[in-house]
Amino acid sequence: MEHELNYRTDLWIDWCPGCGNFGILAAVTRAMKDLRLDPSKTVVVSGIGCSGKIPHYINVNGVHTLHGRAIPFATGIKIANPDLTILVHGGDGDLLGIGAGHFVALGRRNLDIVVMLHNNGVYGLTKGQASPTLPLNSKTKGLNLPNIQGSVNPIALALASGYTFVARGYAFDGNHLSELIKKAIQHRGAAFIDILQPCVTFNDIYTADFYRKAIYKLEGEEGWDPVVREPAETEEKILRAMRKAMEWGEKIPIGIFYENPAITTFEDRLSDILRGSYPKKSPSKSVIEKDGKSIFNAEIFEELFKDFIIEVKG
Amino acid sequence: MKEINIIIGGPQGSGIETSMSILSRAFTRKGYGIIASREYFSNIVGRHSYIVMRVSSEKLPQSIDLPVQIIAASDAETVFTHFDEIRGGGALIYDINNEKKKLNEVPSMENITKQRIRRKLESKGLDQAVSSIIEYLRKEEGIKPIGIDFASILSELSKKFKLDPGHLSRYVSTILVSSISTVIGLEDDYLLFGITSHFKNRENILKHNLALYEMVSERLHSMKEILPLDTPKLKIEKMMVLTGNDAVAIGKIVGGARYQAYYPITPAADESTTLEKYGHGTEGNQDIGPIVILQTEDEISAISSTIGAALTGARSSTATSGPGFDLMVEALSWAGANEVPIVITYYQRGGPSTGQPTRGSQSDLMNAIFSSHGEFARIVISSGDHEEAILDAAEAFNLAEKFQVPVIHLLDKFLANTTASVKIPDIEKIRIERGSIFRNGGEYRRFDASNSISPRAFIGDDGIVIWYSGDEHDEIGHIVEDPENRIKMYEKRMKKLELIRKEVPLNEKLKVYGFEDPEFIIIGWGSTKGVAVEALESAAKEVGVRGAYVNLKMLWPFPSEELKEIVGKISEKKIIVAEHSYEANIARLMAMEAGLNVGGKIVKYTGRPFFLSEFYRALKSILFDNEEKVVLTLGA
Ligand SMILES: Cc1ncc(C[n+]2csc(CCOP(=O)(O)OP(=O)(O)O)c2C)c(N)n1
Ligand code: SF4
Repeated sequence: MEHELNYRTDLWIDWCPGCGNFGILAAVTRAMKDLRLDPSKTVVVSGIGCSGKIPHYINVNGVHTLHGRAIPFATGIKIANPDLTILVHGGDGDLLGIGAGHFVALGRRNLDIVVMLHNNGVYGLTKGQASPTLPLNSKTKGLNLPNIQGSVNPIALALASGYTFVARGYAFDGNHLSELIKKAIQHRGAAFIDILQPCVTFNDIYTADFYRKAIYKLEGEEGWDPVVREPAETEEKILRAMRKAMEWGEKIPIGIFYENPAITTFEDRLSDILRGSYPKKSPSKSVIEKDGKSIFNAEIFEELFKDFIIEVKG
Repeated sequence: MKEINIIIGGPQGSGIETSMSILSRAFTRKGYGIIASREYFSNIVGRHSYIVMRVSSEKLPQSIDLPVQIIAASDAETVFTHFDEIRGGGALIYDINNEKKKLNEVPSMENITKQRIRRKLESKGLDQAVSSIIEYLRKEEGIKPIGIDFASILSELSKKFKLDPGHLSRYVSTILVSSISTVIGLEDDYLLFGITSHFKNRENILKHNLALYEMVSERLHSMKEILPLDTPKLKIEKMMVLTGNDAVAIGKIVGGARYQAYYPITPAADESTTLEKYGHGTEGNQDIGPIVILQTEDEISAISSTIGAALTGARSSTATSGPGFDLMVEALSWAGANEVPIVITYYQRGGPSTGQPTRGSQSDLMNAIFSSHGEFARIVISSGDHEEAILDAAEAFNLAEKFQVPVIHLLDKFLANTTASVKIPDIEKIRIERGSIFRNGGEYRRFDASNSISPRAFIGDDGIVIWYSGDEHDEIGHIVEDPENRIKMYEKRMKKLELIRKEVPLNEKLKVYGFEDPEFIIIGWGSTKGVAVEALESAAKEVGVRGAYVNLKMLWPFPSEELKEIVGKISEKKIIVAEHSYEANIARLMAMEAGLNVGGKIVKYTGRPFFLSEFYRALKSILFDNEEKVVLTLGA
């Protein structure tokens, strides 16, 4: 198929003018275009929030799910049809608050899905409450009192959970972000991109101005090589990535923190357990009926379930 | 005897389930019909666990009953707990090393239970030792005590095979089943078949168990056939012996399930284990499955991923019980909003909260029907027994796909954990109906509103792009808040209820058992069927009244018109409902949906099953003594 495709739908976008989500949308569609992704084989799965609306603006399959549940929806889609490219979008409240358990589970499974965190430090759509990435004692303009809860470190959490591609991008560095997204899509296994996303309406601390001054690129660092090339390097590379993950404030690194192509994906593990019948016959593809009837006949039934069948010898 | 009832009891983890499996297989091999229900605590090792089994030479029994003719007790607790559930010339098989044990020396028994049993013993003038109960049963009830020295048998076994003494308790279950079969006079071959087929592929264990059987039957030589069971008269050549969990798993496999996600919870988890075991592989030339089984991080993920898989066209399901279902409810609503066909197998257990996690209940009817925010169409069905469970599990997918709605298949712990011998279902009857599927090419609108049911395309189909959203959406799937669109889409979804009412055939909505011109009617759903149908038979035979049982299979949308037609000619006073709950929720649903009132209620909420004789007594007291509500309590 010729992919002179427009990856943007023509819907009016209801994000606040100046919102970092515009940058993310542009970077995602650019990555899709560069990779010439087939819209019918690509799925954007989102949660709820400002970020959750993104599937409607992209011209590929879109599943706008529930608050925090994008990852499990995506998990079912991917397992049932492993040929699809799946991108999950969620806010920090979505992925690290209500959906934190699913976030961890995806890492453990290393299923081939890309997760993009729209990290704005606040709950956007419910009007600016503190999100799980907002540091303790911060007081953004939507809060009455300083934040009384500590923050979670998304990069460190992803590393600890088992994601095999962990990166950070910035919403308004489109070139850099779309390159990261492309690499994440090309990576086999669970990929995570923490995207710093200014929320112009509710977060007056992590503004575009703030990020412009603080951000630097890991690629530019002398000797920075996040890729695990030998299994023996794994521990060292994770520790280095963790150390980088702790940098926050005056200097904030973006780029790839960790990449490990050698860990088996969930699809590979399933294929082993199911003795090769997967993914050839994935749930979405295998035959279940013949002329409106079960593929089972009495003979196959009795053979398969012989453990339950007893011949009477009275 | 035509039939015999048995209790086998001992500490959880001591092989009670093994005993059930071996005996069920042995009896079935000879051609008897069996049913056996399992009771256990929410505990892995040590608490009191038992099964109640009914074996019949004349029929496939549909309910269990008390009192029993045989109790086989591997510990003192079983004797204390069940001594008043045996009567009339039966046999008590017990370990002589427990004779001196006193009630207050049973550490695993709850204090409140001890007090209850102490009162019982005192009222009969017994002291609190096992020996005094045995003496009482012998003298007053004509029960034959059969004391066996478990320790000496096991030490002999251990010497013979040089077994680790720490592992000997594993063999207790074989002592029990060997003695039961000796007393009944089941020929060696059958029990050996039971043992062999249970332990197949485990050669050593098999060898030990066979030797053990020899030792026991030799020692009980003089007790051989003291409780003889008639030769079976059923003319069935092949039977299936399975639990309710197995039945559902088998139905799902045959019905074309391709994805099941679950989070472990009693009594649902065993279903997924069976699916995992039989859901892939090759049989003959036929490639089976594979069904992908995913153990998720929680129930929210289980249902969400089930929905995700369904969007790609796979038949997808999840299985859970009350607490897990509650967590699924938000996503259930999403499936309703997006017209996604999924099947939720819902095994009820005792609530509220974690209530009685391993006991039975039917108190979640309203939860299955009304849970979730917003209005949308769903189907709730129930199964009355194992055979129905197989067929319904397959049919649930057809209903889901035909009407593009979530289907809740409502079962309960009683069915899940009951082992029964059943006829092999007629597999050729199983249809696979995938409903309306988009194949035309051209522009696709997932929620095409020209019909209540829009053709489905699947995510991943070539050249098609699909949007879904839990927000109100237009025909494409994009968020739209316009009132006119809202009306159109809302009505499209809700009108499915009328379609379902119209198109689901009567026999999938309800089935009537018993007399065609009944004088009274019992109405119930799920596993109440077996006991109710057998109680009708007793009523006809013993007091000459004709009854019918209405087994409600489709609970939502409620088959109001069909039910009204059936009960129309009967006086309200002769309509009786039965349910494992306090409220008899089905009566409320009948009042609400069909304007029907009922004359009597038989309920039970101890978490223990209905026993045939207590159910029958309750029925008589409603029919003849003007009782309105009978609360049953039998069973430990
Ligand atoms: C179960 C549930 N709880 C609460 C909400 C309300 N809700 C809607 S959006 C939102 C916050 C989203 O914040 P975040 O995930 O950080 O995304 P953002 O809007 O910042 O992109 C919440 C809590 C909901 N939709 N569902
Ligand atoms: S509230 Fe914040 S995150 Fe939401 S659209 Fe506005 S600027 Fe963007």
